[in-house]
Amino acid sequence: MKRPDHNTYREWLNLEVDGVLPEESRAQLTEHLAACDACRAERDELLVFADLLHKARVPVREDFRAQVLSSLPTAGWESRSPRTWAFPAAVFLLLAGIAAAVMGSRGPQGSLLSALVAVTGMLRASAVAGAGLIAASWKGLGLAFSEVLSSPVSIGVFGVFVLSLNLLLVSLLRRRRSAGLERSSLERSGRRDC
Amino acid sequence: MATGLRIHSMTRGAEDPNDEQLVAAVLSGDRERFGDLVDRYQGRLVTYLFRLLRNVDDAHDLAQEVLIKIYQVLDRYDPTFKFSTWLFRVAQNAAIDQIRRRRLKLVSLRQEDGEGDGRDWDLPSPERGPYGEMRNRERGDAIQEAIDALPWEYRELVLLRHFGELPYEEIAQLKGMPLGTVKNKLFRGRQMLKDKLQGFLED
Repeated sequence: MKRPDHNTYREWLNLEVDGVLPEESRAQLTEHLAACDACRAERDELLVFADLLHKARVPVREDFRAQVLSSLPTAGWESRSPRTWAFPAAVFLLLAGIAAAVMGSRGPQGSLLSALVAVTGMLRASAVAGAGLIAASWKGLGLAFSEVLSSPVSIGVFGVFVLSLNLLLVSLLRRRRSAGLERSSLERSGRRDC
Repeated sequence: MATGLRIHSMTRGAEDPNDEQLVAAVLSGDRERFGDLVDRYQGRLVTYLFRLLRNVDDAHDLAQEVLIKIYQVLDRYDPTFKFSTWLFRVAQNAAIDQIRRRRLKLVSLRQEDGEGDGRDWDLPSPERGPYGEMRNRERGDAIQEAIDALPWEYRELVLLRHFGELPYEEIAQLKGMPLGTVKNKLFRGRQMLKDKLQGFLED
């Protein structure tokens, strides 16, 4: 097996100091260290270096934790209820209960089946009402457009409005893009003077 | 919220819950557990930010901002990643934003009255006495100058490794680099830093 060169041992020393050198490489390194003064000196220097950086840690203010905890706002997720089927199921049961009560009050024909039929009828009625509202909205929009297109002045005003809206959106997109570019160029530049 | 996270019979006296368990506990309503996460990371976070911002007060303020930001979006935490990777990514972005803002401010200040860059490298000294304090300050300044002289691509990795204390794998994930590249850059960055600090290594 080919023996690693000196530079490889130096790289391994760094990994060893970080505790990430694979076991098989460590055995070779240990063997090499026993015979190489330069690498032993390098290892000692690396340990002193790591210790030097460790000593350069900043002491954290004693009240830091308390300050952070007292500054925590109410996060959005705290007030949000978990997504479960409990709420829809409860609504359905409530509706079923009301329907059963209504059907029961009408006489002996009130049964679970008729209650379910009644609930289905209520849901169908709600769906029809929703669809009607949507249709009415579209109809209203159609009426508004026909009003806008009825005179040259209103067409002009509408055109200017659409154009301004587009310009606004384009400028917002450009600003966001330039902010991103600035950030990446800052990262690349190395910020020697920061 | 907190889907996919499980609290494995975690109680108040349980031994060393991991970060993911602490996050799950916070999300299930135990706000105090966030304090445990603060305890776990405050030292590394403040030191890491200090080495980027070079001002103790700014480092504390930004560390607090980062932790609050993390808390606000804690429900978006993806437990398939390490919490520390996420925390230091947010911290690095926040520091870059602050440096950019500071640089803009500095340019306008220099234009107005030509003042310096307001460096603040003073640290409370672990060594007592006038000589000890002088020695600490000298050492602190030398370390900071050596770090500042590193090209950014090495500096950010050295800071994440030595002051953020992130393992190689997390640095690779955070920077989106192959593990081999991280090892290589850290090796080179350290060599550069070591060369500049040679005088302190021989003491």
